Amino acid sequence: MPINITDYTNNILKNISFSLEHGEDLIILGANGVGKTTLAKVLCGIFPSEAVRIDSITPSKIYGETRARLINYIPAKLDVFDDFITVREFLELGLIHGVARGQHPTTVDDVLQMLTIKHLADKACKLLSSGESQLLLIASALLHDAKYTIFDEPTANLDPKKMQILFNILKYDTLLQSKLVITHNLDLAYKLGFNILFLEDGSIKFHGSGSDFFEQSHLDRLFNGAVVKKNNNIVVKL
Amino acid sequence: MKKAVLALALLLLAIAPFFGQIDLPLSRLLESNSMEHKIFFDIRVPRVLLSFFVGGILALGGLIFQTIFRNPMSTPFTLGVASGATLFTAIAIVLGFTALSSLFAFGGAMMTVIILFIVASRFNAYDSTSLLLVGIALSFFYAAALMVMFYISSLQESYEIMRFTMGSLDIVGFKNIIILACASAFLLTVIFKYRYELKLLLTSYEFAYLKGIDVKKTGYIFLFAVSVAVGTAVSFTGTIGFVGLIIPHILKNIYKQSADKLIVPIFFYGGVFLVVSDLIARNLGTASDIPIGVLTSFLGAPFFIYLLIKGRK
Repeated sequence: MPINITDYTNNILKNISFSLEHGEDLIILGANGVGKTTLAKVLCGIFPSEAVRIDSITPSKIYGETRARLINYIPAKLDVFDDFITVREFLELGLIHGVARGQHPTTVDDVLQMLTIKHLADKACKLLSSGESQLLLIASALLHDAKYTIFDEPTANLDPKKMQILFNILKYDTLLQSKLVITHNLDLAYKLGFNILFLEDGSIKFHGSGSDFFEQSHLDRLFNGAVVKKNNNIVVKL
Repeated sequence: MKKAVLALALLLLAIAPFFGQIDLPLSRLLESNSMEHKIFFDIRVPRVLLSFFVGGILALGGLIFQTIFRNPMSTPFTLGVASGATLFTAIAIVLGFTALSSLFAFGGAMMTVIILFIVASRFNAYDSTSLLLVGIALSFFYAAALMVMFYISSLQESYEIMRFTMGSLDIVGFKNIIILACASAFLLTVIFKYRYELKLLLTSYEFAYLKGIDVKKTGYIFLFAVSVAVGTAVSFTGTIGFVGLIIPHILKNIYKQSADKLIVPIFFYGGVFLVVSDLIARNLGTASDIPIGVLTSFLGAPFFIYLLIKGRK
């Protein structure tokens, strides 16, 4: 059950087409404002479009558990309206009807433990720091367990230790199915080793393997020498 | 603390019918054909029940509207539902159908909802601000139309219209209480049935969407249920402001729990608040009762300002 987007155009994005097989992962790169988040929202149907098909279904046209199981989007920032919803309550909402209720291998307590936020279980979501909120969002993605999960800059607010935890989840854990990761962290993109989709001026400039993308000559062309590969790390020249 | 408040609330509900302009000695109440018996069972008890149901509906409506519109200041009246009811009552009075004014009021409330639904179908699911603004625009439109009604009405008619806008809990007998009890039951049933959806809406629209919820449809269901219940309440009592604003905010601050857990407390204490407000209004010793809407607004407006100041900090 692949995800397809065919010739999608709006006021930011131009003629976007690509597909991703279920089980494959993808990194989405591109400058600020190029349309990465817009693309993510189009793919999951928050911005409805007929151009998107997951196994020939347009996500924005269906409701309920069927859609929830298909695709999930984890925003860069946690948005909770109610002042008193706790971390635990938020995660319980992540267990979709039917999916959870005992059948899913991961429980709320498991993911809290895994992401080292067990001590926050009864704290109101509104009172979390930006890093803690990010961990909460990742925890909810694990519980939701959609076929495709899009992470929008999941590492933006994480300290180094938490970054390692997240890296291991994205790279090695089998709890998540297909992962699409939007990031500005090129080193993370390189180490994850997923295929790369690079956006420029609203269009797809590159779609291919990580090893091709991170060729020094290719990096030079894309970033005008601002990015170098050093001792197997991707470094931004400052 | 919570238990003490609950005990006090129950006590107030129980004693409310015993206080009013006329003293009712207990011994006379039990005589079935005494005047006191009639006042107690035909006027006082129905009035307390009416206050309770109306207060509950308005408070719960406030909670739901605040959740759907993502705006802590919105109440069932923000979308023009009450102004619609008021305008149509005025029309009924001016046209000489005073006896049917409740029906007209309900029609006005429902017409407003239908207009809102038609307009809302042109917005996307996440654009609740626009809908709120449409509601406010409608309120102003109704207010202007109401002025026209005042202008063309006689002195007596003007007075009747004015009285409706101040809110009143005068009622005789139990027939209308049953209608309000049904409206309350309807609202509570809908909210409980869609409690999971409500909780998801308490996070964010996007989060709710991603869990499979039809955000727009769910919003409509809540909007409709609240409007039917509020429309029914308003058709009997006229405009009673600020209950929907004060009660949800106070209870959230006392309970410190997510709103989906406060459905019953907010309904109950909304009811108690209006019963107590009415108790005060009836017992201030003035020649006639202070209109209930005036009293709740006197309490509510300063609180509204307090919320604004607190929100800025």
